[in-house]
Amino acid sequence: MPKDIKTPRIKGKREVPEILLTFTSAFLAIVAGLLMSFILLYILEATKAESNFSLPGQVFNNFVTYAFKDVPSIIKVLYNAAPLILCGLSVGFAFKAGLFNIGATGQYTVGAFFSLIAVILWGFPWWLAILVAMITGGLWGFVPGYFKAKFNINEVITTIMLNWVALFFTKLLLYNLPTMRTLPPGNRTDPIGFHNASGLLPDLGLKELTGSSFINIGIIIAIIVAVIIYIVMNKTTFGYEIKACGHNKEASRYAGIKAKRTIILTMIISGGLAGIAGAISFLAGTIQFTTDSTLLTMGFNGIPVALLAFSHPLGIIASGLFIGYLNVGGQAFEGVYSSEVTNIILSVIIYFSAFTLIVSQFIRKKFNRSDDGSGKGNIFKKITEKIISLFKKKEDVVIKDEEEVTK
Amino acid sequence: MDVVAILISKTILYAVPLLLGALAGMFSERSGVINIALEGIMIIGSLFAGIFLSGAIATSGLAENAPQLVVLITMVVSGLAGLIFSLLLAFASIKLKANQVISGTALNIFAPAFSVLIIYAITYTGNSKIAFPDLVNLNSASFGIDPASMANWVNTLLFKNLYLTTILSIFILFAAFVVLYKTRFGLRLRACGEHPQAADSVGINVIRMRYIGVAISGFLAGIGGFAFATANGQVHQSDVLGYGFLALAVMIFGNWKPFRILFGALFFSFFSSIAVLATTITFLPSFGLVKVENLYMMLPYILTLIVLAFTSKKSRAPKAEGIPYDPGKR
Repeated sequence: MPKDIKTPRIKGKREVPEILLTFTSAFLAIVAGLLMSFILLYILEATKAESNFSLPGQVFNNFVTYAFKDVPSIIKVLYNAAPLILCGLSVGFAFKAGLFNIGATGQYTVGAFFSLIAVILWGFPWWLAILVAMITGGLWGFVPGYFKAKFNINEVITTIMLNWVALFFTKLLLYNLPTMRTLPPGNRTDPIGFHNASGLLPDLGLKELTGSSFINIGIIIAIIVAVIIYIVMNKTTFGYEIKACGHNKEASRYAGIKAKRTIILTMIISGGLAGIAGAISFLAGTIQFTTDSTLLTMGFNGIPVALLAFSHPLGIIASGLFIGYLNVGGQAFEGVYSSEVTNIILSVIIYFSAFTLIVSQFIRKKFNRSDDGSGKGNIFKKITEKIISLFKKKEDVVIKDEEEVTK
Repeated sequence: MDVVAILISKTILYAVPLLLGALAGMFSERSGVINIALEGIMIIGSLFAGIFLSGAIATSGLAENAPQLVVLITMVVSGLAGLIFSLLLAFASIKLKANQVISGTALNIFAPAFSVLIIYAITYTGNSKIAFPDLVNLNSASFGIDPASMANWVNTLLFKNLYLTTILSIFILFAAFVVLYKTRFGLRLRACGEHPQAADSVGINVIRMRYIGVAISGFLAGIGGFAFATANGQVHQSDVLGYGFLALAVMIFGNWKPFRILFGALFFSFFSSIAVLATTITFLPSFGLVKVENLYMMLPYILTLIVLAFTSKKSRAPKAEGIPYDPGKR
C-alpha cells in the first residue's frame, strides 16, 4: 500500500507502550507522595502552639536537596542504595515467579551473620564471604521454596516464620561464639577491622579522597548483580520458565516446564540475593550485628523497592537509588519533625503505584479517543504519539498503520 | 504449679491478639481480599486505643467509677480506627482493582510512621510510646472475690493476665463462627471469596460484600492491636512486633476456619510462652549453651512449619482471594 494514502485512524486502536505507562504511573505516584508529605508538614506545623508556616517549606527544601549537598551525602545515598537494590532484586525475582518473598529479612540476616563469621572466625576475604552469604541466604530461601513445591504451603507463612527463626538462630550463635563479640557488654559483633582487614569491602582508595567512611564497592556489586538478573530474566530459557510459572502455573506445566523445580530454584536465587545484600551491609564495616530482638528491616525495605520498579531488574536499580535518596534526605526532618516523614512519603508512593491499572486505563482511554473528523485532534494523543515515536523506529509505526488498514 | 499457671495464663494472654488478628484476616480473605495490612491495622488500633485511654482518664471521672466501661469503649474506638484505616485497603483493592499485596504493604509502611508522627504532634518529643493508664487489668476484686479465698496458683491462672479483651474475644470467636456459617450473610461472603461471578449471577453485590468483609477485618484487627498493646506491657509503642504477620500465618495454619484458628493461636502462643519462661522453667535442658532461650524462641516457628507440612493436604485457601472482581470474567 502506498504511503501517501491517509490512513483512517478512527477505528484503529494503537497500543501505548507498556514502559511509558509504567513510567507515567511511577512518576505520578512519586509526585503524589511528595505532595502529601508537604501537606502533612503544614498540618504538623499547625498543631504546634506557635506555628511558623515558613518552616515546612524550608525543611521540605532541605529534604529534597539534602542528598546532593556534598560528596559524602551522595556517597551515603549509594551506600544506602546497594543493599536496597539487592533486597529489591530478591523480592522482585520471586514476584516474577508469582511468589511473595516476605522473608528477604530472614535471608538477609542469615547471609549477613555468616559473612561475618566467614570474615571474623575463618579469616576469609570479602569476596569469599559474600559467596558464603549467598549460599546461606540461598539455603534459607530453599526451605520455603521446597515447602511450596512439595507441600503447597503458602510461601508467605513459611518466609514469615523463617524470618523469626533466622533472628533467634543468629542470636543464639552470636551468644555462643565469644570471639565474635565485642568486649563486655558484648551485645554486638566485634569490628571487622580488628580481625581481618581483607574482610572489609574495598573502597578503591577513595576513602581518603572523599573523606567518607561509607564508600565501598557495594553499589557496583549491586548493579552488576542487577544486570545479571536482567539477563537471566529476559535472555534465558530459565527466565522464561520463571515468568511462565508466575503467569500461570498449570499452563506452564502443560508446556513441559517443571514448575516445582522452577519454584525451588527461584526461591534459592531470591534468598541468595538477599544474602548478598546482608553481606554488603555488614562487610562495609559501618554497622555491627547486634543481639537485639527485632527483625532487621532491610529485607522488608526490599518490598517497596521491587514494587516501585514493577520488579524490573534494571528499574530496581533506579528505585533502589531513589529510596536510598529518600532515606538520606529524611535526615533533614530529624530534630525538626520526625524522620518518619520519609516512610509516610514512601507509603503514599507505594499506595499510588498500586493504581497502575487505573492510570493505564485512563491514558489508554484518552489516547484512543480519536479524532472525530473535526481536524482539531487530541492534544493528549499528539503528545503521547510524540513520546512513542521517540521510543520506536519510524518503520515500525508505518508497518503497524498498514496492518490496521488491511484489517 | 505456679509456673504452669503462669504458662497457661501467658498462653491465653498472647493468643488473644493472634486470634483476633487471624479472625480479621479470615473475614477479609473469605470475601476475596488478601489482607496483608493486618500489621498496619493493628498498629493503628493500638495507637487510637492509647490516645483514647490517655485522654479519657485525664478528662472524665468515668475511669474511676467504671473502668471496664472505659475499656469497652476503647475496644470500640480501636476497632473503628482499624475499620476506617482498612477502608484505604478496600478502596484500592476493590474499587480501583489495585494489587492487594502492594496496597497492603503501603498501609504497613504507613501505619508505624503515622503513629510516630501523631505521637510527635501530641507530645513534641522523640517519644514513640503511649503508656496505658493502669485500669485495664481485671483482678479478683473486679468480680468481688476475695483473693485470699483461693489458692495462689488459681489466682495466678485466672487473674494475673485477665483483660476484658480476653473475655470478649471468646464471644467474638463464637460470633464469627455463627456469622460465617449460620447466616445468609456469611454464605454470601464466602461465595464472594470462592466464585464471585457465580455469586453475582444470583444477585449478590460482590463489591459491597467485599467492602463489608474488609471492614469487619479492620474492626477486629483494630481490637487485636489494642489486645496486643495490653498484653505487651500496657503500652502502645508504634509497633506490634510482627503480630500482624503472625496472625496471617495463624490464619493459614487454621485453614481459614474460626475454631482451627483458635487452636492455631493457642498452639503458637503456648510454645512462645515456654520460650519466654525458659529461664524460669528449670527442667528445660540447656544443652550447654549460653542464652538457651533463643533456642526455645525458635520452637513455635519451626513447629508451626512442621505441623503445616503434615496438614498441608487439607489446606485450602478461598479460591478467588487476591483477584480483583471482574464481572466480565467467567
